[in-house]
Amino acid sequence: MSGSWISSRRAFVAGLLAAVAAPSVSAKAAGGEQILLGVSGPLTGPNAQYGAQWKKGFDLALDEINGKGGVKGRPLQYQFEDSQADPRQTVAIAQKFVSDPKIVVELGDFSSTASMAASSIYQRAGLVQFGFTNSHPNFTKGGDYIWSSSVSQADETPRLAKYTTELGFKKLAVLYLNTDWGRTSQTLFSNAAKSFGAEVVAAEGYQPDEKDFRSTLVRVRDANPDVIVLISYYADGALIARQIRSVGLKTPIVANGSVYSPKFIELAGDAANGVYTETNFFPGEPRPEVQNFVTKFRARYNEDPDTFNAVAYDTIVLMAQVFDQFGTDRTAIRDGLAKIKDVPSVIFGKATFDPETRRVAGARAVYLVVKDGKFAPWDGVKPTVN
Amino acid sequence: MAALCQVRGLTRRFGGVTAVDALDFEIAQGEFVSLIGPNGAGKTTTFNLMSGLDRADSGEVLFDGRRIERLAAERIAALGVARTFQHGRVFGNLSVLDNVLIGAHTRLRATRPWAGPVAELALALWRPRSVREDYAARESEARAIVARFGDRLTPRLDHPAHSLSYANRRRLEIARALALKPRLLLLDEPTAGMNPTETAEMEALIGELKREGLTILLIEHKLDMVMRLSDRVYVLDDGKRIAAGPPDEVRNDPAVIEAYLGHSGVGRRPQAEAAE
Amino acid sequence: MNSFIDYTVNGLVIGNVYALLAVGLALIFGVANLINFAHGSVYTIGAYVGWAAITFLHTPLAVTILIVALACGALGAAIERVALRPLQGRARIAPLLATIGLSFVLDQLVQLIASPNPRALPVDLPDWRISIGGGSVGPMDILIAGVGLSSAALLYGFLRFTKLGYAVRATAQDRDAARQMGVNVDGVNSAVFAIASALGGVSGLLVGMYYNHIDPAMSFQATLKGVVAVVIGGVGNVPGAIVGSLLLGLTESYGIALFGTTYRNLFAFALLILFLVVLPNGLFGGRRAVEAEPMTGTFIAPSRALRVPPSVVAALAVGAFALPFALPAPYMLQVLTNSWLAGLLALSLTLVAGAAGQMSFGHAGLLAIGGYASALLATDYGVTPLVSVPVAGVVTSLLGTALVFPAFRLRGHYIAIATLAIGEIVSLVILNWESFTHGAMGVTGIPPLSALSYAVTSARAVYWLTLAALVAFALLQARLSSSHIGRTLRALRDDEIAARSHGVNVTRYKALAFGFAGFGAGVSGAISAHLFSYLNNQTFDSQLSLLAVTMAILGGMGNILGAVVGAVALVGLPEAFRFAAEYRILIYGVVLLALVRFRPQGLLGTV
Repeated sequence: MSGSWISSRRAFVAGLLAAVAAPSVSAKAAGGEQILLGVSGPLTGPNAQYGAQWKKGFDLALDEINGKGGVKGRPLQYQFEDSQADPRQTVAIAQKFVSDPKIVVELGDFSSTASMAASSIYQRAGLVQFGFTNSHPNFTKGGDYIWSSSVSQADETPRLAKYTTELGFKKLAVLYLNTDWGRTSQTLFSNAAKSFGAEVVAAEGYQPDEKDFRSTLVRVRDANPDVIVLISYYADGALIARQIRSVGLKTPIVANGSVYSPKFIELAGDAANGVYTETNFFPGEPRPEVQNFVTKFRARYNEDPDTFNAVAYDTIVLMAQVFDQFGTDRTAIRDGLAKIKDVPSVIFGKATFDPETRRVAGARAVYLVVKDGKFAPWDGVKPTVN
Repeated sequence: MAALCQVRGLTRRFGGVTAVDALDFEIAQGEFVSLIGPNGAGKTTTFNLMSGLDRADSGEVLFDGRRIERLAAERIAALGVARTFQHGRVFGNLSVLDNVLIGAHTRLRATRPWAGPVAELALALWRPRSVREDYAARESEARAIVARFGDRLTPRLDHPAHSLSYANRRRLEIARALALKPRLLLLDEPTAGMNPTETAEMEALIGELKREGLTILLIEHKLDMVMRLSDRVYVLDDGKRIAAGPPDEVRNDPAVIEAYLGHSGVGRRPQAEAAE
Repeated sequence: MNSFIDYTVNGLVIGNVYALLAVGLALIFGVANLINFAHGSVYTIGAYVGWAAITFLHTPLAVTILIVALACGALGAAIERVALRPLQGRARIAPLLATIGLSFVLDQLVQLIASPNPRALPVDLPDWRISIGGGSVGPMDILIAGVGLSSAALLYGFLRFTKLGYAVRATAQDRDAARQMGVNVDGVNSAVFAIASALGGVSGLLVGMYYNHIDPAMSFQATLKGVVAVVIGGVGNVPGAIVGSLLLGLTESYGIALFGTTYRNLFAFALLILFLVVLPNGLFGGRRAVEAEPMTGTFIAPSRALRVPPSVVAALAVGAFALPFALPAPYMLQVLTNSWLAGLLALSLTLVAGAAGQMSFGHAGLLAIGGYASALLATDYGVTPLVSVPVAGVVTSLLGTALVFPAFRLRGHYIAIATLAIGEIVSLVILNWESFTHGAMGVTGIPPLSALSYAVTSARAVYWLTLAALVAFALLQARLSSSHIGRTLRALRDDEIAARSHGVNVTRYKALAFGFAGFGAGVSGAISAHLFSYLNNQTFDSQLSLLAVTMAILGGMGNILGAVVGAVALVGLPEAFRFAAEYRILIYGVVLLALVRFRPQGLLGTV
């Protein structure tokens, strides 16, 4: 734990210096005129850790690409504006980007809410807004310049429902984060679960800053479920998992992919063991795209990558391919996204966009279960239902 | 003379202490009546009960034959009862003129129509002629009232009240009360803390008001002033009325003498006059 | 009825957790007549100090508790000495504002140093559990109960039976008299803050261990719940705080049982409002002696407003309208647009809090009402924004006034608490009333502003529209201020009793002020909704409310031009200098502290 204390202090100082300097740019020299990507995301504020994860993924991809001479001899560079994932700021940043002719495409913002506030500006100005972590089903409906490689909740949650029913559970109690993300997921999950023959016996929404779930769990217990499903982020998921065990409930727990993070295990302690979850990025997967990425990431940063690093990396790789095949004109980029096929991707294997939804179809999922304090692929063993 | 204001059986208790005990008195139109008594006798509490700032436990207050003891303070003010406060309460951040104009609040008829707050708001923003004339009339009245105090207040019309000397603040309070054009004026120790010169000035002003026919109820400790101004005096002690009558009678009443002598120099009485 | 027992036990368990914080708050209130909004920050710091002790020094539990108590005690004494003592003799609400500023600063410092990521705080206790009904309690529950009860008992005994305790109570009753009697008033206050903060820090540690979770954002919720508990118990009453906490815990638990988890906080705040309206002194507060001097509900420092000649103001306005021709960059225009919208909020607040003396800590709730009214009308009912925005203003005017109405008769810190709670309630109702407001999903696809068939979407057009709204509202407010109504409002701000004694119906005028102010805030919220095209219950949050207060104070309470200046300074400048973004909240906290201490009349003076 002391490691993370010190490294986060270093991060603070580094962030301090970086924040005092001009907006972050990746320093890559060599070759022709730069291709500039605008990034709107949280460098500070409550979601700052995710912006930092993005940068790691971006930088890794840029090193590779620029190291090979860039795109047609031109190096790639990003300009990261700190939005704190706040809709008021994303709108201001959007104004800035669309009126800067050097910026050919926009990446981000972190939350769907923050991105959607700015969508109309990007759409009207004709600059592609690529919200690679925006999973809200309505995000890409903002217009034909709004694209996302993020797995839509409409795709992801049915997979979770499938896993849950494959595990043999029939009566589900769902606890979900009462935000637009959680609500959407819960609705989609419940519908999918019903279509697979399961019954949702309880659904309880909770506030993001809630700590105490004991009474909620009494309600849940009284509904007699076989399993408790958590639609949560890792921190609240961990809190709930711990309290489920500490009040003596032995019900199995299935959680959605957001809990896939070492933080979940740290915060949940022993309660994490036996929790089922799934992810579209698992460092242990043997696929070449995954191993290539993981090896390089470990070499550069001395730690294992997580989903945020991976999607950021994928995004730069994707953009480089689009620039290479279709050029760097803003409208051409939009058209290129619709036409491009089989881009190598850590998450998708090979990524192709559906021009109707402006998202990528066919994300892969890895079923996981926590064993001995580590995430491991599911061994196919169904739990005994009590 | 018909009584303008009558108090019957007025009682107020605070916990175990009876601040006002079955008090009876009355004041006729144009009379000058004083309430005197040692500290803690219940005088200010009586004012609070009469002016609607406090609610009696029992008894009644009649103004013009109408019961007012349950009315809100602002309603009683609208009926024509004005008062000043024992420690002086001016609006510190408002100018002298503004203070007096608040006194005229109940008289700004055109500015404050019966039609309700929305109409009042609309009039405040639009300000048709009737409103402007209403205001101008009240403003000149206010200046006239202020002028009664010689050059004490007039040169300071737009100074904030908190910048005034203590004596001027007491004067301002009275000016403000006068702007209401009261039918009954309650003065609570108007000369408290003033030196002899200031006291004399104040006494002269109050005398003027009396001669103009204003009905006045006065609380004071300066007994010589009380005796000179009052038509009748009521003496309170421990919440009860112990004497009543013209000044000469009361001055020589043994019960009154005992009340004053017997209580001076002895330790603090429990503070029954809790509210302002 | 097995579940009923479980809900009761759970209510008591969580009440137990609230009690730890509530006792410290009650103690501070009892002595310093102050709701200490920074108490939650000390609580958070206690948790982190404990984490550091366990992680780096590997101290056993008892030693950790001791370290945390000492560190937080020192912090509490420092807070009192540096931030609060210099404010003696100021308006009653000045220290409260100072503690709010402090909470911003401390919370942000923790976040900057420790990162926003939550951490585990493992506990070193044995693993047994005692079954009660369908659930169980463990050693941590017992420890928390033990600490809570024993500290309350000790404090109670200390206050009642020891010499220093007498000194503390005397100081609370009448500072000057106590000083005359030879009590070292400053020392007493220091000691009390130290004790309360030590307890607060230990609470943070224990609660962090209880949930195995600490993060820098712990403080706000903890403080809110603590305040609710303290109000129920009777502010200043230490054992009452425990009863209040348990009652709060039970209310929440039964609320969940009856209606579901999402209603939890709504019940908590509804309970608070109920008490504030019906029984403001709480269950055990007893009657306080009536204040001799008027207890203003707001923050006014007597001063002369800076006289800005109308020609200068006109020139500034013209300049602002002409700006897009000189500085066409859409980014700058967007920044200034945000400033104008913030300015409308600040104007609204400065009218009620400055001119009318009704401090409002939940003003963002008015933005939310206006935003949702216009958004829903436009999206669900197809009303054109040209109509929906003004209608939203009217809706906010009426609904906002109705909501705040119960708080009119409250004074000082009670108004602060009540309006804060009302702001939270607005947000929670929006969250829970899904069928109408779309709940957590929010309202998507809000159409852009339009006048007849022209969409107002370019940066320039939006800039002019919002500037026009701001200028129009400011002019109306100035006219109101110079009218008799304005005078009446200032009078009732200064002294309600004297005002009433001269015929002023105080309630009517407060309602009028809020009605007027509500319109401006509602329009601001409505315009924002159309600009963001998306709105949910978190778009206008309590931080924005507190920012509004800071803007108004910065400009000078009641000062119209000041409100605009404050908005530009606190919203516009940080956006223009984006590198300071991380420290934004920190800066707000420092600005608030500095203003309260050194320049309470703000930049342009109070009116």
